[in-house]
Amino acid sequence: MQGFDGFFTGMRISASGLTAERERMDVIAENLANARTTRTPEGGPYRRKVVIFEPLLQELEGEQRSVGVQSLPVQQDRATDFERVLDPGHPDAGPDGMVLYPNVNTVMEMADLITSMRAYEANLTAQENFVRMAERALELLR
Amino acid sequence: MLQPTATDLLVRMLGACELRARVVSANIANSNTPGYVRRVVRFEELLRRELLQGGDPARVLPQTSADLSAPARPDGNNVNLELELNAMRENRLLYESYSSILRSHFELLETAIASG
Repeated sequence: MQGFDGFFTGMRISASGLTAERERMDVIAENLANARTTRTPEGGPYRRKVVIFEPLLQELEGEQRSVGVQSLPVQQDRATDFERVLDPGHPDAGPDGMVLYPNVNTVMEMADLITSMRAYEANLTAQENFVRMAERALELLR
Repeated sequence: MLQPTATDLLVRMLGACELRARVVSANIANSNTPGYVRRVVRFEELLRRELLQGGDPARVLPQTSADLSAPARPDGNNVNLELELNAMRENRLLYESYSSILRSHFELLETAIASG
């Protein structure tokens, strides 16, 4: 054992998971809040935002090891089409009377939110685990 | 009696548990990373095999490898949160038992010194 470094590294791994999941929850909240936004500064309806995760790698003893997770810059979902609703009276309706609504699927966002919350809790449990292990190691010194 | 090899082994088993805790945490942190493959640490079984063969336990090192046997989700990720949390608890119980045994070894040593 090399002191307490191992425990601290472990706690940082869990912390990276907590940060990433929180960022994802923020973006999900933004998507849900804008699920009906038809006007944006860049024109057109709100476009769904997506968070992408990638493993945080570190070269250790000649091999790539995952030392956590990080989120990449938020990207927009350009693959899913906007929802088209016939509503000629709407101020944002096009010449054909169709209103474009964001490509946000609230049910899908809610499902993602639940997954994210569960992962957040799991990361928290993992972090507490390192504290318990470190306490146990301390007992050996008493 | 207090054997130096036993103490050394216990310390290394604690080290392997610590490494495993880090690997499990990395799995949990990456539970929503597309394409991530969970990793596992093997040590106790390698140690058992070496001891059964009458080899030198000091030669055995903990091994981290990708676990491809777990079923993957459509995004290629094969982390199951419940299984990881279970692995984490199991690992902590192991850590606690190893450290208890190590502590009793130290106590034996203390007794021997005090009565010597």
